[in-house]
Amino acid sequence: MDRRGFFKKGVLWLCSVAGGGVLAYPVFSFMVFKKDRKRTIFFHPDEQVADVSLKDGAYLIKEGADHRVLSARCPHLGCTVDFDSATEQFRCPCHGSVFTRSGKWISGPAQKDLHRIPAAKDKNGNISVVMKI
Amino acid sequence: MSADRIILKLSGSLPRIGLSTLMVCLFSGIVLSFYYRPAGDVFRNVEEITTHVPFGWFFRQLHYAAGQLFVILMLLHTLDHFLKRRYAAYPLRVWIHLILAVLLSLFTLFTGFILKGDKEALFAGRIFTHILQAVPMVGDPLSRIFITSGQDFFFLPYLYHCFFLPLLIIYLIRNHIREWIPDKGFMMAGVVGLFLYAFLVKPSPAVPPGAMMETVKGPWFFLGIQALLKFVPPLLGAIVLPGLFVACVLILPLSKRKNTEASFSGRIFRTKGDWLRYGVIFLFVIYVGLTVKAWLWGV
Repeated sequence: MDRRGFFKKGVLWLCSVAGGGVLAYPVFSFMVFKKDRKRTIFFHPDEQVADVSLKDGAYLIKEGADHRVLSARCPHLGCTVDFDSATEQFRCPCHGSVFTRSGKWISGPAQKDLHRIPAAKDKNGNISVVMKI
Repeated sequence: MSADRIILKLSGSLPRIGLSTLMVCLFSGIVLSFYYRPAGDVFRNVEEITTHVPFGWFFRQLHYAAGQLFVILMLLHTLDHFLKRRYAAYPLRVWIHLILAVLLSLFTLFTGFILKGDKEALFAGRIFTHILQAVPMVGDPLSRIFITSGQDFFFLPYLYHCFFLPLLIIYLIRNHIREWIPDKGFMMAGVVGLFLYAFLVKPSPAVPPGAMMETVKGPWFFLGIQALLKFVPPLLGAIVLPGLFVACVLILPLSKRKNTEASFSGRIFRTKGDWLRYGVIFLFVIYVGLTVKAWLWGV
């Protein structure tokens, strides 16, 4: 290939890459766009009676007169953890991570605690938590 | 008939029966698409297909069996080529296209597994999302190309399962298939076998997303990865190690450049080729071992 041919091929190649990039950027921006969506979960007073209750991906745990809300998603790969009332532990059915009743990691691949979600109580006694979807 | 002739006949039959299963799979998929909806309560929709819609159980089971059998036959066809070193006869580009088609077939099976909408399906989709998110720098946007959370959870897997993947697979194998309609014997064998299976074997009971299960298992071809993820980080267990295996398989035709004469470069290439082959066998045996362990003794 002579010098002219080499430059011609180089310019053509550069133009193709630039053109591809110009097209790819809006395409990927469109494809991967995610609107921030949140969902509010309400635990009504009658749902606060049980020791541990699950609703829409959140666990409400009774701690004396107070309550703690934990995300039911395993921090490892996102499966919903189950509460075993006999051992008072949360267990992930996918890869076997185990957590204490308060969400502290004990064993398994998760190596992180269950995510604690801030909760608010209104004047009617409803406990509400806001979760990201 | 000698053993060699039987193996040779089997070798030629695998892709032909595979093609007939692909036809049955496409046909049953088109039928199911008239009732299946990837939005709302998908689990209920699938249960309705199985229990209420006339012959829904039959078409669901037919689609399931045809898809599974197609992928199993394609994997055996690839294994057959590997054992007989037939990859050496392919130009690298063609070989890459064919291996990609097998991988995309597996991915189609996986998206089908998600579309069931039961507990296993939901968790498989979530695990898939988290694994993609574990990729450094591009993880989050990468996951959104394949799956999203919330009410549209099933939509992208549906789009891939019904449109993108079948079209891409057919495009990749277009020059590899000599005759798209297999001859009558193979077509009949595939159709009769699958129809009998769908009539006689009822779909296994599905577990609702809210039910408790001691262990949730992924699809059979990912059981090895599921077992691996108990001990190694997601990026290593689900992307780097499987990626290494796939990369070794993809470049197999490079090992054909062995020199018949004992020249220095010839010996080097031959040695390299053999190492690549042993590497593929080693990783494959480990993966099969992990899968069998997970299947028999749980993940």
